[in-house]
Amino acid sequence: MSLTQKIVEKKKQRLFWLVLALFLMVPGAWGHVGSKDVFETVDAGPYKLFVTVRPPTVIPGVAEVEVRVSGAAATAVRITPIPLTGEASKHPPSADVMTVSKDDASFYTGGVWLMASGSWQVRFEVDGAAGRQVASVPVPAVAISTLKMERGMGLGLAALGVFLFCSMAGLVAAGVREARLAPAVVADSARRRRGLVAMGIAVAVMGLLVWGGAKWWDVEAADYAGHVWKPLKSSAQLNGNVLDLMVKAIVPSTTDRENKGRSNNDFLPDHGKLIHLYAIREPEMDVALHLHPELVATGDFRMTLPPMPAGRYTLFGDVVHASGFPETLVTTLDVPAGTGAGALGVDDASATPAALSAGVLGTTYKLPDGYSMVWDAPSQLTATTAYTFRFRLLGPDGQAASGMEPYLGMAGHAAFVKTDGTVFAHTHPNGSAAMPAMDLANSGMMMAMDMPISVGPEVGFPYGFPSAGRYRIFVQMKHSGVVETGVFDAVVK
Amino acid sequence: MSTFGIVQPQTLSPPTARPVTIEKAGGVPWYIYMGVLAVTSASIGGNWDVSWHRSIGRDTFWTPAHMAIQACGVIAAVICGYLIFRTTFGKSESMRAVSVNVFGFQAPLGAFLAAWGGIAMITSAPFDNWWHAAYGLDVKIVSPPHTLLILGIRCVGFGVLFLILAAMNREAEETATHKRLQRLYLYLGGLTVGGQMFFLMEYTWDVKLHSASAYIAMAMALPVMFGLYSQSSRYKWACTVTASIYMVIAIAEILIFPLFPASPKLGPVFFSVTHLIPAKFPILIVVPALALDLLWQRTRSWKMWQVALISGVVFTAVLLAVEWPFASFLMSKASENRFFGTIYFDYNSRPDGYDRLREWFNPSGPGTMALATLRASIYGAIGTYAGLRFGKWMRGVQR
Repeated sequence: MSLTQKIVEKKKQRLFWLVLALFLMVPGAWGHVGSKDVFETVDAGPYKLFVTVRPPTVIPGVAEVEVRVSGAAATAVRITPIPLTGEASKHPPSADVMTVSKDDASFYTGGVWLMASGSWQVRFEVDGAAGRQVASVPVPAVAISTLKMERGMGLGLAALGVFLFCSMAGLVAAGVREARLAPAVVADSARRRRGLVAMGIAVAVMGLLVWGGAKWWDVEAADYAGHVWKPLKSSAQLNGNVLDLMVKAIVPSTTDRENKGRSNNDFLPDHGKLIHLYAIREPEMDVALHLHPELVATGDFRMTLPPMPAGRYTLFGDVVHASGFPETLVTTLDVPAGTGAGALGVDDASATPAALSAGVLGTTYKLPDGYSMVWDAPSQLTATTAYTFRFRLLGPDGQAASGMEPYLGMAGHAAFVKTDGTVFAHTHPNGSAAMPAMDLANSGMMMAMDMPISVGPEVGFPYGFPSAGRYRIFVQMKHSGVVETGVFDAVVK
Repeated sequence: MSTFGIVQPQTLSPPTARPVTIEKAGGVPWYIYMGVLAVTSASIGGNWDVSWHRSIGRDTFWTPAHMAIQACGVIAAVICGYLIFRTTFGKSESMRAVSVNVFGFQAPLGAFLAAWGGIAMITSAPFDNWWHAAYGLDVKIVSPPHTLLILGIRCVGFGVLFLILAAMNREAEETATHKRLQRLYLYLGGLTVGGQMFFLMEYTWDVKLHSASAYIAMAMALPVMFGLYSQSSRYKWACTVTASIYMVIAIAEILIFPLFPASPKLGPVFFSVTHLIPAKFPILIVVPALALDLLWQRTRSWKMWQVALISGVVFTAVLLAVEWPFASFLMSKASENRFFGTIYFDYNSRPDGYDRLREWFNPSGPGTMALATLRASIYGAIGTYAGLRFGKWMRGVQR
């Protein structure tokens, strides 16, 4: 490598770590990182629903809900927001009728109010040819930002404020000076003087009120900022080949009843695993592993690492709390050369795609064992649009792969990771909602995911990119006991 | 030290030879009726909005309750804008003769005050909208934009009161126009007494009526208004009338609101709500109000501070004597009917909550109540003094 190349490489790395550091400082979202919208397919009896829920960035707030109904013909869809667990989940409000699109009779839109931070569900009641059927989609809701006032709005309000201030001062002066004068009598100098004194007092009093109001606003804003979601703090320690991913709980506040804290010991198994850990080597995203450490003690996920190329890895650990609230733990791990022992676990997976700097990956990914994975990529990708991304596994002969098996209970798993590190979303063929949350939301119903499934060589993932930019997609499918990881790049407009 | 009685001669500037008349409909200017309509609209809207949140929970800016509130600001801004424009730039010398001058603009003081309130209300709308986007939907009732809105409503109310007052003060007392203006004045006074009670709603919830805070809050908020209206309206039953208006409106709400269907749109729904939930039964403030009217009719020659001192004690003692046992009645089965309205609960009223269980919330012991009675009497006295004093000043307002 030439000196110039080294300098460019160093600069690139510095920029990446700067971006990553900024991202780690700013909590993005919860169950995924920087990807708050929920894209989910769910069956309500014979009605098949493709649901998009766009939670608000402030709580309480309104989540936008879109649903496309296929399968049996639907005549109406109604939605209800309900907490996922607890006493409040047993007392839902009355449902709202969704608005059907004028152009597309199978597309419905609506909104639901999410009144508190936490784990919610949107319940869908579908009426139509197959009678009334019900299904729910879990929606994690947290405040993720505070809104700064736009300049125009600020100037407009400030102008009105100045007008109100000045006019009240003039009004008080006029009242004292002239209000008690008989009609047509002109105020004498004594009254004019009294008017000026009154104006001075009014200005002082209003100044105090404005000052007090500003203080009050600051307190309210700080109070709100205190409720903005913060991720559980996690750190990765490496002792030889053993990784300990340590997770700190957030203790409930004794003074703020809104702050209920979050446990580091209440995780629900998701496809039989308490954590799904993605390790992605930075900055080139040229090594990716999907691992499953065991919880050996409170807040301590441990595993012996498989052989890993040296470098700095970003760890994204997906966990689901008992409330059904999903969360992604984010930290970094420096792996020295020669780390790792043994082979990958039976449910673990790895890939070593070309570096980001080598260019955008195509829609066919050659796997090391001669298989290949193909992405039927849409011709154009736009941010916030809901898609079902389809992938096919082909055998060495170029034909659809045989001997397909479920991988961790599903036809496939996918992770969508933005190359600047600001987005990470681990999704399934049903969608982006966490499976334990789906179980909680649809308890007592015969969910397809609870039944043994037969899988084919094609899999689809409902998802929408949250913002424009370049993403790397890691897709896992399994055949004949082998877990394959295909890697693709998406440039989103 | 001045005495406060209504026989007290006023120290005014020389009166004109005859009352000035401007744009009257049956003696009362049309804009006064519009102003009264505006304040009525805000009062109905405010109560409707509270009921909406207790029954349905979820709202938008465009609910009828919000429209009724904002209509107040719009009507006030329009009529007062018209008055200011017409007085400043019009040809009518008679209008200018009864106006005050604010930075070169001319209109009656009440018009400026109501216009100010209307603009404050209108300003609060985008501010509130932004607040919701920044910090969440209706997290708190008392927020900076809501406070600006309430301040605006109050200023419209007082602006229209001043408009009526100035017209009333210019009229000879026995004329039909004076009587009509006086009735409108007292009606608006009743609405503002209702506004005070609206503000105290959280403190005067029926399960809290055996707590000291309810009586302290009422002593701080009511005697000042009674003193003000008694003096400024020149009507010897002003307290009784304004308190009655508050009570009649509140009872009307109990009888009318449950006629309209409503269902909760927010959860959790702990109480099955099928119709709009009305306010709690009003506090029996008409009795202490009557006591104050009677007292003030008999103490016209007293010094104002003496009247204030005794008024604080009378108000508190009579209020306690009446409301304490009445609150016990409201907690009993006997009150569970359409009139007393203790059958209505918020959709999110928990079955194990004080309201549903009909249990006192944080009741005060005899020691606390004794101290509270003393404090309430002092606050009541201070309020009475301020109210009488300002009311007396208002009697001189002519523009």
